[in-house]
This record gives sequence, structure tokens and C-alpha cells, in this order.
Amino acid sequence: MIFVKRYLIPRLIAYFLVIWVGITVVFFIPRLTPNDPVMRMIGEMRARGANLEPGAMDGIISDLTEMYGLEGSWLDQYGAFWSRLVNGDFGVSFFQFPAPVNQLIGNALPWTLGLLLSTTAITWIIGNMVGGIAGYYTRRRWSRAMDAVAMVIRPLPYYIFAFALLLIFAYLVRWFPITGGASLGALPSFTWDYIRNVLWHSFLPAASLIVLGGTVTFQTMKLLVQNVNAESFVQYAKLGGVTEDRIVRKYIIRNAMLPQITGLALSFGQIFSGALITEIVFGYPGLGMLLYRAILNGDYNLIMGITILSIVGITTAILIVDLAYPLFDPRVRYV
Amino acid sequence: MAHEFSRRDFMKFLAVGTGTFVLGPTGMLLAADFTAAQDTALPGTFPRSETLIARILTGRVGTPDNFNHWVGWKWQDRGIQNLADEPLWTVDFATGNIVNGSADAEPTYNDDFTSLTVTLRQGVTWSDGEPFTAADVVYTVETIMQWDNFNAHNFFVDNVETVTAVDEYTVQFDLKQANSRFHTTFLDRWGCTRIFPKHIFEQQEDPTLFTFNPYVGCGPYKLHSFDPQGSWTAWEKRADWDKSPTGILYGEPQPRYIIFQYFADEGAQILAQLTHQLDVAELSADGLKALLAQSTSSRAYQPTFPFVVNNDPAITGILFNTAKAPFDNVDVRWALTLAIDIAEYTSIAVDSSGTLSPVHIPHLGPYPADYIEPMQDWLKAFTIEVGDGETFAPYDPTAPQRVADTARSRGYAFPEDESFIAQSFGLGWYKYAPEIAEKLLLKNGFTRDGNNMWLLPDGTPWTISFLAGTVLSNHDARNAAAAVQQWKKFGIDASVYNTENMDGLGAVGDFDVSGAWPAQEPWGAGPDLYRTLDRWNSEYIRPVGERTQGIYSRWSSPEMDDIIKRLRETNPFDTEQVIAIGIEGLQEAVKNMPGIPTYGYIGFVGWDETYWTNWPGSENPYNAPYTHWPNFKYMTPFLRPTGA
Repeated sequence: MIFVKRYLIPRLIAYFLVIWVGITVVFFIPRLTPNDPVMRMIGEMRARGANLEPGAMDGIISDLTEMYGLEGSWLDQYGAFWSRLVNGDFGVSFFQFPAPVNQLIGNALPWTLGLLLSTTAITWIIGNMVGGIAGYYTRRRWSRAMDAVAMVIRPLPYYIFAFALLLIFAYLVRWFPITGGASLGALPSFTWDYIRNVLWHSFLPAASLIVLGGTVTFQTMKLLVQNVNAESFVQYAKLGGVTEDRIVRKYIIRNAMLPQITGLALSFGQIFSGALITEIVFGYPGLGMLLYRAILNGDYNLIMGITILSIVGITTAILIVDLAYPLFDPRVRYV
Repeated sequence: MAHEFSRRDFMKFLAVGTGTFVLGPTGMLLAADFTAAQDTALPGTFPRSETLIARILTGRVGTPDNFNHWVGWKWQDRGIQNLADEPLWTVDFATGNIVNGSADAEPTYNDDFTSLTVTLRQGVTWSDGEPFTAADVVYTVETIMQWDNFNAHNFFVDNVETVTAVDEYTVQFDLKQANSRFHTTFLDRWGCTRIFPKHIFEQQEDPTLFTFNPYVGCGPYKLHSFDPQGSWTAWEKRADWDKSPTGILYGEPQPRYIIFQYFADEGAQILAQLTHQLDVAELSADGLKALLAQSTSSRAYQPTFPFVVNNDPAITGILFNTAKAPFDNVDVRWALTLAIDIAEYTSIAVDSSGTLSPVHIPHLGPYPADYIEPMQDWLKAFTIEVGDGETFAPYDPTAPQRVADTARSRGYAFPEDESFIAQSFGLGWYKYAPEIAEKLLLKNGFTRDGNNMWLLPDGTPWTISFLAGTVLSNHDARNAAAAVQQWKKFGIDASVYNTENMDGLGAVGDFDVSGAWPAQEPWGAGPDLYRTLDRWNSEYIRPVGERTQGIYSRWSSPEMDDIIKRLRETNPFDTEQVIAIGIEGLQEAVKNMPGIPTYGYIGFVGWDETYWTNWPGSENPYNAPYTHWPNFKYMTPFLRPTGA
């Protein structure tokens, strides 16, 4: 009960408060920008050659404002927004009218989750394993070589690195496709051919994220292990005759892992923002481009839909880490 | 006895879960046979030798399963306008002609332009086999008038009194007021009011929410399939292509399948064409150079420098906000024009590959013969008042030669004959006369400071913020870069302001100078300039802060209003009269220079000739060269498969 009263309830209150504040801020910020969705739509349609007669413009503005549900004060819109949200409805996209936001997110989310969940997990596991070992055996030649490789790769701009992969593996040796989430003509289905096709298309985007992200995790973990290794309790254990294997697994890696676990949770939470540059370079579908286009076009409902997912994702990840910390770190107790 | 879930259990559970999660997909990927997978790049549905692949211009389709382009924006260049739809009329900017599509002839107006009759082409069917008749046209217009959410609703409500089917192939419109250009709402120029099939739409409870999937049109192609993520849309040649206006007019389209594919990255687009996975690429200037340098099978629109598509019906340049000082002063606008060395300017902007135009329409199609050549004498005689009774003739017919010389000095080789120079670089522009620009500014109270930088009449430094978009290869940004460099050289503190909200700021007048087009694009076919001139109508101007309805320069004049009024009262098919009034309009614009026309819009198209040849290049411009334009369907019968 003490855990519930002193820790769980305050944490849950903070959790819901952060979500409410986040959603409210995201509701008002797009409305404070000069990006008016009605004007953006008119501008886009004009730029694309749609037939909008100058004399009919006032009527078009009025119709679009009504169609988008942007009539009334911001407070009225805010109230209407919450009444929709509690029913799980984000409304319709303005720019992709009349497609519901739920449908647009539902189409893009599996691609983003598929790519980023797997690459985040792979990056974290490989980066920490290799970084941990290299950090412990920091004076070995192979450890220094790996550090040097990481030092070279890590500063590379992501776009350049991703395009280099594309150039080498899609153009020069032609092992992988140049663009898209699946081949032209391949329609989604639960068949081995389609799954294999998607995996084949996902390989280069995933590789670009894993290699660059992995070097960051590798270097962080290596430094953490080096620091823990220099702690007096590790030195004492060594002097006390504890086996090296036990020191590495129980004394060093476990302690060095703690900040990495927090980092992993935050990385999972951020997945919902998508991976914009990956999507651009590899023509990969996902939430990143959907959000980018929504911001450009002042598509309030779509911006809200995606950012709410992100807000809930990050705050939930933090809450889970907070609550699960005693399971990772025996020193932490909530009772 | 219940087992307590310990920390150790949790860690094991986590390890097993993560291992499965990571190793599952990895194992599947490793098990995949990459060689076999590569063969599925074009699954058997689309034999490559019978398939043409083009890049979709407007990006990933946001509404892949919705083809109802009468409401909102529906990525109509994914094949809707360019393959599956057939409008009543289409402009062909390559030939300067207007193509009668589902209409059989140009419309006939009554004497006071309050009524018009349209005759439809007979023997046309929709792609589902139903006949296309006057009932479809009447139903389309009446339905659009009935439902608020259709894009063209207000236009038709404002203009149409009644629309009736006189017989199966004749439609009569009675208008609420005289409108001699009413028919242009059906004239396709990258967008128009299209006709929808009555037999399908009349079954819908709310036609504005109808997704219209699969699309049914009168064009020669029908929908085959599309990616639910909007990456591609595939179209298949109709078995009854001879029942489409394209088939009737030009014969059988050659590609069996046409796919529009999305590329977000230009590099990926180039790689796709180099590997023959993309037949039509649309690139930046540097992208086209890179493609041509690497490929042995790709070609550009022109076989030699300047390579580019230079017959797009839009004039690029510089737009002044004439509602804001000092750009409300015509002397200032002319000073800024004369401070530009156009040869240097185009070398900065487009590597000297632009075609100049001294007037507010581009040098292409019918316009040189109808307007720019006949205006040469007037342009040469035209003078501006410099001050103290001095006048200056700003026109320079040698400007194109100066641009050509600059290009040659940069190592480009191209024919030297006059006709090539005129076709590629235009007929003339304005002199580089900084000394005259200086006099014009001094006349209006401007001064220079100790650093030779210009000060406004009130003594404060003159700064110019040039509004442009964020895509630096687009022509608004290219003009901005060149103009700012030229004006800095002249002593003005000019800079470029790149923003995603260029259109929004332009519309409400929150800018000094912009890279938006200096004049509304003309139709690109036929001599009528009403579309261009009418945007300078004073009726459309709104105060700064409100979205203006005309062109963003917010300029007009009583003289221009009178010209527009007379043009409106003129039959658009009375060529002689239309040109005479159009010339007056262009002269009025030159005198006032509310925006500086520089060079015509140029496109950078790369065609791969591995699978398809006979592209409409400059040596054989039988059709507009873009695959995103509505005219692409008219190109398809002329393409030739190589059999590769």
C-alpha cells in the first residue's frame, strides 16, 4: 500500500498530467503558426493547377472552413476535439480529405513499427554487447580497432551514409531494391512471398539505422563499462579473487546497463515520430513523411493524431521504466 | 503454491522475449533468397517490355484509395488526369493548339456571351463500356452546384443559370451574367472541371464522400491496381481504347501498362533510371547533368545544350509587393530591373539554360509569333523617364546573344544560327544599366552611404528580403539567388528568406519581393491572354493582411482594368482582336513592371530509351513532353517499344 500511495498514484497522476499538457500544447501550437490549413489547401490547389476562379474565392474559403470543422473559437474547437478524442476519433485529415486520421495512421504505423522496433532493439542489443566487451578489454588491439571504426562512422551525416549504402548495394552490386516498401505490383498479403519482399526492401533502411545507431550505443556502453571497471568495488572484487566472468557479468555489465535501459525506453517511445530521412532516401512508407507533410500543410488533425501517439508512447515508456526499475536494479526499492 | 515472479525471472523473460523479437525477422531475412527476390521487382503482372514507368510529380499519394478529385486535392497526376480522364478540351503547349477531347469542337457563344453550346464527340464510352453523352455533362454540373464541398461549387453557382441536354451530344449552358471565358473551366491545363459518369455517381448518397474506386473515365487507360501506401499507381490500356478520344484522334496507345511511382529522393530517381527501372525521371539541373553523364541510354528534351524542356507555359521571375514602399514606385521597380545583368543572372540561376522573355508571358508555343515578335518595334521604341527630361530605352534585343556567349564561355557547345539562339535564349530582354538605375533612385530621394550602400529616402538602410521556398532547385529560389546577387552588387542589402509558407505570406502581402511568378501563367495554347491579364484586375485586390484574390503583386491600373474589360467583351476565338488587346495588356504591364519576367519555366526531364523511344524531344515536339501533364495520354500512341 505504501508503494501505491507514495509512488504509484503520484506517478500515474504525473503521467496523465503530462499527456494532457502535451496534447493541449500540440492543439494550440499549430494554430499559432501562420500555416492556415484552408489557405494551404487553396495555395496547393492553385499551385497544382486546380480551377479556382478568383471571383469565387471567398465562397471556397468559407466552404473549406466549414468542411474542416474550423468554425467557432479555438475554445469551441478544443472542446469538440476532446469530445472526439475520448471516442478514439482524431477526425479527418484536411489535406487528405475526407480520409480519417485513424486510417492514415493505421496505414503508416505498421511500417514504422516494423522497421523502428526491430532496428531499435537490434541496435541496442548488439551495441551494448559489443560495447560492453570492448569496454572491458579496452587495451586489446581489436577493441581499439572497433573504436576507430566507430569514430569514423559515427560523425557521418545520416543522409550521406544511407545514400552510400543505396549506391553500393542497390546500384553497384544490385542486391537490394532502390526504393519503396515492397515491389511495384506487390499488394499486401500474409504470404511468404510478400513478407520476404518487404524484408528485402527493409534491409537497407534497417542497415543504415542499425550501423549508425549501433556505433552510438557501442561508444556509450564502452565508456560506461570503462568507468565502472575503474570503480573501487570492481578492483576489490578482483583482489578478492572473484572470477573474471562473474565480475564482467554481475559487477560491470549490470551496473553499466542501467542508463542504457532508460535510453532504450525513450528510443521506443520516440518511434512514433517516424524516421523522416530514412523514409526519404529509401522511399520507405511510414509516419515520418506523414507527419512532415501534415506540418507543411497545417493539417491540424493529422498533426494531433501522430503527436498524441508520440506523447503517449514516450510518457508510457518512462512510466514503465520507472515502475520496472527495481527489477533491473536491486538497490532501488519503493517500499 | 504460487511461484513468485522474481527479478531474475523478469530478466530471463526479457532476454527470451527480446531474442525472439530480434532473431525472428533476422532469421526470416537471412532465409530469403535475394536473387529470387530481385526477380520480383516487377512481378509477372507487369512485363517490363510492355510497361512504362514514370515518376509521380506531386509525391506519395496521400489518399491512395480515393479518386474523387472533384473534392479537395487527390494527386490527380498519379494517372487520373494524364491517362484515365478525357476533358472536353486540353491545351497543348508544344503545338500551341487546343485539343478537342470529349468535345467535338470549340464552344459556340451567343452574341452577348450569356449562353454557350457545346457539342460532344460521338462514339466515346466510359472505361466501363457505358456511352458518354450530354446527360453526363448536365449531371456533373448540376451535382456540383447542389453540393457545397465540390471544389468548383461556387464557380458554377455564381455563373450557371441552367444547363440542359439539347440532344444526346449537345449541351447548352445559360449563364447568370455575360462570361466569354466560361468554357475555360472545362479546358484542361493541369486541372479543370472534369465530367464524371452519371450512371455511377447518381447511385451515391453523398457524392462528395464517394471514393470513386475504381476510377472510371473516358481516357485510354483504366485503373489496374495501386499501393495502399500511395507509392505507385498502375494503369492498364483499355481493351476498347478505340472508344476513347485519344484512340479516336491518335490511334492505339503503345504501353500496355503505365505505372506512376513515387521517389522522395532525387538520387534514388537517378539510380532507378540508370538501372532501367524508371523510364521518365524529373530532376533538378544538377540531377539531369549527373544522369546524362552516367547513362548511355538516357536522353534529355534537347539533344544539345541547354538540354532542358524550355516550352513550359509559365514565366518565372521576380514579383514586387506593390502595396509596400518603396516597391509601390514604378521608378524603383525599373531601377531594380536595370540593375540586373541578365547574362550573369541566368548563369547563376539556371546555368544559362533559360529562354528570356521581356514581357509577362513565356517565349513558347504561339506567343513569340503572336506577341513577342510583333511587339519588337514597340519594345525598341519604349522609353522610361530618368529625370531632368532625360529618357532611356531599356530594351536590348542582343540580350539572348549575351546569354549564349556566356554559356559558350562556360564550355557549352551548341549551334550558332539565329533561329537556335532565338528558340533557346529568346528574342530580347533589358539592358544592364546600373547608371540609369542609379539616376532613377536618386530622382526619388534615395542616397548612398559611406560604404556605397543604398539608403531609403528617409535615410535608413535599404534592405530587401526576397521571399522564396525551401526547395533550392525550384525556380523561385533560383531567381531569388540570382536577383539577390545582382542587387548586392548594385549596393542593396538584399537577402533571401526561404520559408515553407511562401504562398501564405505572398497571398497576404507579408513580403518585399518574391520568387512567385511575376504574372499568371497563360493558357499555353491559343492566343487568348485573358487568364494572364485578368489576375491584374483591381476587383481582386485585397488589403495587405487579407488573402488577395489576384496576383500577389497587388498591382492594377485603370488602364489595365479597361483592357481586361474589353478583352472580356471580345470573342475568345476572334484571334485578331484578342491579340490586339493582349498586346495592349502586355505593354501596360511592361510600362509598370509589377514583376520582372526573366526566363520561361524550364524542366529537367530524363527519358530512358532502353524500353521506349520516340519521346517528344525538341527535334520532334509532337506533344507536350511531361508525363504529369494531361497531354501524356496523347503521347502514348506515338511511343515505340524497343522490344528489349
